[in-house]
Amino acid sequence: MLVFIIRRLNLFFFTMLLLTLLTFSLSFLFPGDPLVNLSGQINATPQQLEQLKLAYKSDQGIMQQYFAYLSHLAEGDLGLSMASQTQITSEIINLLPATIELSLIALMLAMFVGIPLGFIAAVNHRKTADNIILSVAMLGYSVPVFWLGLVAILVFSIQLGWFPSAGQLSLVYEIEHVTGIQFIDILLSDSVYKWQAFRDASAHIVLPACVVATAPATIFIRLARSSMLAVLETHYIKAARAKGLTFRQIIFRHAVRNSLLQIIRHIGLQFANLVTIAMITEVIFSWPGIGRWLIESIYQRDYTGIQSGLLVLSTFIFIVHIVTDFIYAALNPLAREHNHGTS
Amino acid sequence: MNLLDIRNLSIELVSGNKPILAVDRVSLCMKEGEVRGLVGESGSGKSLLAQAIVGVLDDKWQVDADRFHWRGTDLLRLSLEERKAIISKDVAMIFQEPMACLDPTTTIGEQLEEAVDSRQLSGYFWQKRQQRKAAAIKLLHKVGIKHHEFCIRSYPHQLTEALCQRVMIAIALATRPVLLIADEPTAAMESSNQGQIFRLLASLNQLKNMSILLISHDLENVTHWTNTITVMYSGQFVEAGTTEQIFNHPFHPYTRALVDSSPKANMLLPAKSRLMTLPGSIPILQHLPIGCRLGPRCPRAQQACVQAPKVKNHHGHQVSCHYSLKDTY
Ligand SMILES: Nc1ncnc2c1ncn2[C@@H]1O[C@H](COP(=O)(O)OP(=O)(O)OP(=O)(O)O)[C@@H](O)[C@H]1O
Ligand code: SF4
Ligand SMILES: [Mg+2]
Repeated sequence: MLVFIIRRLNLFFFTMLLLTLLTFSLSFLFPGDPLVNLSGQINATPQQLEQLKLAYKSDQGIMQQYFAYLSHLAEGDLGLSMASQTQITSEIINLLPATIELSLIALMLAMFVGIPLGFIAAVNHRKTADNIILSVAMLGYSVPVFWLGLVAILVFSIQLGWFPSAGQLSLVYEIEHVTGIQFIDILLSDSVYKWQAFRDASAHIVLPACVVATAPATIFIRLARSSMLAVLETHYIKAARAKGLTFRQIIFRHAVRNSLLQIIRHIGLQFANLVTIAMITEVIFSWPGIGRWLIESIYQRDYTGIQSGLLVLSTFIFIVHIVTDFIYAALNPLAREHNHGTS
Repeated sequence: MNLLDIRNLSIELVSGNKPILAVDRVSLCMKEGEVRGLVGESGSGKSLLAQAIVGVLDDKWQVDADRFHWRGTDLLRLSLEERKAIISKDVAMIFQEPMACLDPTTTIGEQLEEAVDSRQLSGYFWQKRQQRKAAAIKLLHKVGIKHHEFCIRSYPHQLTEALCQRVMIAIALATRPVLLIADEPTAAMESSNQGQIFRLLASLNQLKNMSILLISHDLENVTHWTNTITVMYSGQFVEAGTTEQIFNHPFHPYTRALVDSSPKANMLLPAKSRLMTLPGSIPILQHLPIGCRLGPRCPRAQQACVQAPKVKNHHGHQVSCHYSLKDTY
């Protein structure tokens, strides 16, 4: 297990190194003065520029500049946003939780819907249920997310009026910003309208979460189906049948656990995909998250914003990736490298 | 009354464009308390036959038989569920690769406990858990595993192959079977471990009067432990009889070659001389010869052999060959 942790930390370290190298080099690749791109101070006076030069060591070698950039990152200083001239760090602290909330809820939704459906399809291999589920998965996978989002708004919020079409919470509720995760903040707050706020927040997240979850759910359907089919072919399932276990017992005691393990390995990969979808969905549903902010930064040529947004989102995706790796290792006895000898 | 009576069982692979007859009309008969060896080269369909008896072959295999009696009941007349219920109650099987037959994510203890038949337990459900555990430990002791605590906590990959095989035997014994099918129980094992496993099986046979179908690709290896032997080649029935009949007076050219190729039967041969073997190798499923499948390799083959031979019975010694060696003795 220790080796495993060290290996993952190592991976984390090098990925972060590459990532910061990339964002650092972006400031040179973007048009304009690298120093301004890094710090985001477009209206700096000559004295401020001198100070910045000192802080980012831009008169020294490239390595020193990089390390200066790293130390700024380490202090949590991402520079100013070129568009709004506010601290990017504070903007991100405000926006990132909304994205985390949306993407994690969408991930849960995709898994809770996709995996059981995939299992059902595998158990009914080549029967009607299997074909229906596979066709639905194919359809869900090929629908573009922006179209799906707009149709969802059109049908469910404009025509049926079931769910709100934009935002995270009605403006009438005043919830104190504690963790940034809306649901946790609502539960923590002592407002008398707590439960109304909770219901309102739930209503707001339904549509965007469903839209984000659609494509990943179809991928989970196919992953779950193929891994369950593979597990059902194995010798230990055959042996379990010879043991006299019923089909239900075999599925629930042996097949589900083994195929879930295979699926968990893929969650990290799927999550990157899901966050990309979430960024587009945030724009459609005016979700106050970092994805929408990043896309706006691109429109406004806010280079500092683009760099920082990229860095933060990639780090988030990568952390989720590593967490799923740990979950996989914790659940899979084969990955836990501690044989108590063999005798 | 015979314990198991199978007549002309065929297994067809139907997944391809043309069905392939992997096992061609094989008969197998077992008496109570008998240890029967099922011998044949690798790829002769022994495992398929065993899995067909237990009923765990998947959809791509189609099994037919003229007769399939279990302790006098005609299983072919019963529905699939009834057949499965009878077979899983009375017949247990040890598969060829013990390691692959244990669920890698479940502890040995759990896998043992779930195999314990709930009919053996009494009392309320909260007592049953304890009883199951006790039964599992007892089973481990029965197969000669003494440090059960360690074994119960372990996952399959933490145990050696030989230990896994013992666990598989323990799992097979959990339902107190009347017939145990052991598919190459000692493959990939050192000879000292092999002896232990065989002795364990022999003692189960003697103490519990449990019948055993012992599958092996090595005739010499099993002769010491069996009462009767059935020989198969490339999915066809070759010869069946008592161990003495098969080993001392084989009627079939294939059995003859098997016996001649074993060092024990050739004690008189001068040292370092060649053992007799058949030329060529067993045909693959996609290219099976018509008629007697031994034809291309058989030293006695003649024109009649393009027709599959019928089984002839000489005082309980059955042989399927047009030109059997019976008259040469
Ligand atoms: N799942 C499968 N798909 C296709 N062919 C198979 C499959 N399993 C077995 N066969 C084929 O069926 C034939 C008989 O296989 P079987 O496993 O019964 O042989 P065996 O006598 O048990 O040999 P061994 O001593 O190697 O275990 C072989 O030719 C093998 O290639
Ligand atoms: S039937 Fe013919 S080919 Fe087959 S074993 Fe007998 S002699 Fe050989
Ligand atoms: Mg085999």
